[in-house]
Amino acid sequence: MNIVEMIPIIVKELWATIYMTLASTLASYILGIPLGLILVVTDSDGIHPNPAVNRVLGGIVNALRSVPFIILTVAVIPVTRFIVGTSIGSTATIVPLVIAATPYIARMVESSVKEVDRGVIEASLSMGASPLQVVLKVLLPEAKPSMIIGAAIATTTILGYSAMAGFVGGGGLGAIAINYGYYRNQTGIMIVMIILLVLIVQIIQEIGNIIARKTDKRIR
Amino acid sequence: MAESIIKIEGLTKTFGSGATAVTALDNINLDIRQGEIFGIIGLSGAGKSTLVRCMNLLERPTEGKVIVDGMDLTALHEKELRQARQAIGMIFQSFNLLMQRTALDNICFPLELAGVSRKAARERARELLRIVGLEDKEKAYPAQLSGGQQQRVAIARALATNPKVLLCDEATSALDPTTTLSILELLKRLNRDLGVTVVVITHEMKVVEQICHRVVVIDNSRIQEIGTIEEVFRRPKTEAARKLVFPQTEHTVKFSGKGKFLRLAFNGNTTDRPIIAEMVLKCGAPVNIAFADTKVIDGRMVGHMILQMPEEPEIVRKMLSYLDSQNIIYVEER
Repeated sequence: MNIVEMIPIIVKELWATIYMTLASTLASYILGIPLGLILVVTDSDGIHPNPAVNRVLGGIVNALRSVPFIILTVAVIPVTRFIVGTSIGSTATIVPLVIAATPYIARMVESSVKEVDRGVIEASLSMGASPLQVVLKVLLPEAKPSMIIGAAIATTTILGYSAMAGFVGGGGLGAIAINYGYYRNQTGIMIVMIILLVLIVQIIQEIGNIIARKTDKRIR
Repeated sequence: MAESIIKIEGLTKTFGSGATAVTALDNINLDIRQGEIFGIIGLSGAGKSTLVRCMNLLERPTEGKVIVDGMDLTALHEKELRQARQAIGMIFQSFNLLMQRTALDNICFPLELAGVSRKAARERARELLRIVGLEDKEKAYPAQLSGGQQQRVAIARALATNPKVLLCDEATSALDPTTTLSILELLKRLNRDLGVTVVVITHEMKVVEQICHRVVVIDNSRIQEIGTIEEVFRRPKTEAARKLVFPQTEHTVKFSGKGKFLRLAFNGNTTDRPIIAEMVLKCGAPVNIAFADTKVIDGRMVGHMILQMPEEPEIVRKMLSYLDSQNIIYVEER
């Protein structure tokens, strides 16, 4: 098949890639934000130190982050089958993507929230804020611009993971690159896939930068 | 004598434990009266910042009691303590405003915490912006405001819940002399108009001298001296107070000669009148200016000078009484 004949397949898998990436990012953030906040709050110099919780969660996050994505994908196949019913295709790929991305995002959120000036937290405590109020009214809003930059980086990383999943039965652009570009040695297809992936990364990064700049009141 | 608003009893604060423990405050007893502007002065590392942070329990004392408005804060539960903190405003050296909120929303913040409705909070915040002279900056973000304006917003925020006490932790240390002066004037006015008790922590004498009624000198984790500004500044009794009133400079020279040496401090309270020349004319004897390091800030003289006095005790007495009459602080140089 030449590239022109491939176009419908490419379009279909492009959507699959976008679907996997966005759905995984969303799910990972829903899990990663609370996890990251708990890591900050329970830290020894946090607003509600709890060394036991901090160490256990930190350990789990580190452990998950140590496993290379491709190995993780294979290792969690039983879990994927249990949740989705199959281990093949785009939706199935979301499961390992979320498992891999959540600890990564938790760390990103943690690092963004830690950038919030200690003095501002102290000021809010001096006004009688409860730990929950500090989290909701100070930490999250103040860290928002940094978290948006982090989200752009996280989304592009997840996009990279989703392409990798093409090796082990996942769908998307990565699957085309593997099945046509590599196994059938179609260099042209490989190049087109690479260009598409580069373009998507650029677009996501740029959108992230623009939103961060628009929302950050520290500049202007 | 006015009623006590902050009473500190036997306060000790130790950081760390065992052999590496550091005592930041050692058996502090203090009684701050309702409605006064109270200064806490000391060189950096003296423990004054820890002391003010103990007044709203941002720092929990290792020992001792902190009684604010009749309530022992150290005995309160978390929730009660948060409630009590709403009656204690605090401002900081680095302003500590929420950078992602406008000036108005920053002032609304403590009201939100206290559960005030959004409409009432905004109304109150606007009123406060008027009081601190920033009614036109309601929609500005902190990054768009100057240091002095940010501190004004911080003051408005600290006063939003009508606290009885305003703690100022080096509140003017990041500001230039002119802005410092205007912030001090504002604090003075708020103290007078609202009756809020103001506690000022600083390492700058001129701040204390400018607005405080009483001052305590902290050094080496202990109270060294306490009294009215007059008492402490004109006749410092302890070495620590003397160090603050007459800061030592590197180029202290050994002086020789028969006459006594006198170190004069100019703390911005004198006009630009030629005081030394007038003293010489009035007393009819020359003095030797052995050392001088003074400068004029906003038309006020700041710095110090060392004079070698004449040998005749009678003339020296006359000169000292002249200096007293001009509100110049001096100490004999050894």
